[in-house]
Amino acid sequence: MAASTNSLISMQSRPGMAASRICSLKPVSVSNQGRSFLSFGFRSMPARSLRVSCAAKPETVEKVCEIVKKQLALAEGTPVNGESKFTTLGADSLDTVEIVMGLEEAFGISVEEESAQSIATVQDAADLIEKLVEKKD
Amino acid sequence: MLSFQRSFSVCPFPILPLQLPSPMETHLWFVVPDEFKSVSLLNQYMELLSPCEKENVLSMRGEQLQKQALLARTLVRTTIARYQINNRVVDPRSLKFKRNVHGKPELEWESDGGQCPSPLHFNISHTSSLIACGVTVNSSIGIDIEEKQRKIKNNILAFARRYFSLHEVEHLSAISDSEVQRQEFVKLWTLKEAYVKALGRGFSAAPFKTFTICIKNGFRRGFDHADDLESGAPEVVVESSDHPERLTNNWQFGLFELVSSHYAAVCMEKDKTSDAGMSVPIRLTVRKTIPFVEDECISGTDAVVPIAGLIEQF
Repeated sequence: MAASTNSLISMQSRPGMAASRICSLKPVSVSNQGRSFLSFGFRSMPARSLRVSCAAKPETVEKVCEIVKKQLALAEGTPVNGESKFTTLGADSLDTVEIVMGLEEAFGISVEEESAQSIATVQDAADLIEKLVEKKD
Repeated sequence: MLSFQRSFSVCPFPILPLQLPSPMETHLWFVVPDEFKSVSLLNQYMELLSPCEKENVLSMRGEQLQKQALLARTLVRTTIARYQINNRVVDPRSLKFKRNVHGKPELEWESDGGQCPSPLHFNISHTSSLIACGVTVNSSIGIDIEEKQRKIKNNILAFARRYFSLHEVEHLSAISDSEVQRQEFVKLWTLKEAYVKALGRGFSAAPFKTFTICIKNGFRRGFDHADDLESGAPEVVVESSDHPERLTNNWQFGLFELVSSHYAAVCMEKDKTSDAGMSVPIRLTVRKTIPFVEDECISGTDAVVPIAGLIEQF
């Protein structure tokens, strides 16, 4: 298991990041300073594509949850988290478009239709937001 | 509690098999979720679904959403099963569905080794208070239903500027009454959704900004040039903003009010055998259903009020 040295992995190989990310311990293939700890059969992958180990910040996920809850007028205490799918929360196409618009306004980004179509969960939205925010900076 | 005392040793086959819709004909079937309270009936509906559909229903958050998801699949399966194809009665459980290359759900048609596309096309739309399924033959169809009272969380003009075309923004901006503006917004949304769903190529293939839907007031094209200015139902026209040369006059729209509470938009391909540019009315039949219990034809009553597009009710 490619557990690395400890549970804190600093993703310094990603350019343009202001601060290093703290990711939770997961069995991943880490490409760090040219060395790879292979846990599966594949060669070292660029850190960028390791979605699992580089989830969006919890604050971003939280903010997305708030916007979703507001748009869908969900009952108090309805559990909404990163894994929540918009459709299972009852969002129809107009809700989804309104949510995307709310996210654009809240984060100061612009989401292409193609990208919007691929958003299925709160996590997808948060990840996309961070990618777009990063591009902006 | 349902007011029907019929026993539910239900035969899954419809009692009156229907003729398929003919060209330019749309059959619209709908359910009202609030009318379904019998747990045993809902359980029977559950038995019609595929394992994958059942899983999907159960993954919905909360009973209401689960019921709506269940009713949507039930509506699709039981509606399609009503139509006798090649004189065969169809069991709703036996229907298979697939998605086209762009993700639009379609009927998988077993004939000639499954190579032939199904002649029967369908499209569904849901709101929490009404779920509808439109059926056509040999014509792509898209439908969208919205509650008339639907409130937009964002500012309407800001939303329109972000997602709608320039002409549509101008049209909405010109409306001074905010309630009328909201209603026009909802109508426009349903027409745009119905068009994109009829195209069946996904939201990103025809972004809302790239086409304009316009409701032109009151003239009907007739066979004779002299009929051109005869006043009739407002016409619904779609134009592509990005590609003005792109063929858009092969799509026909109908917009109507349904049971006083909803706007319904239907978009279908014009009959290929009729002359291009000739507008033949959409022949519309609307039925409310409680599958296996009761069907009620409501077209031609005040439960269906045409707003735009050439519609003839049957």
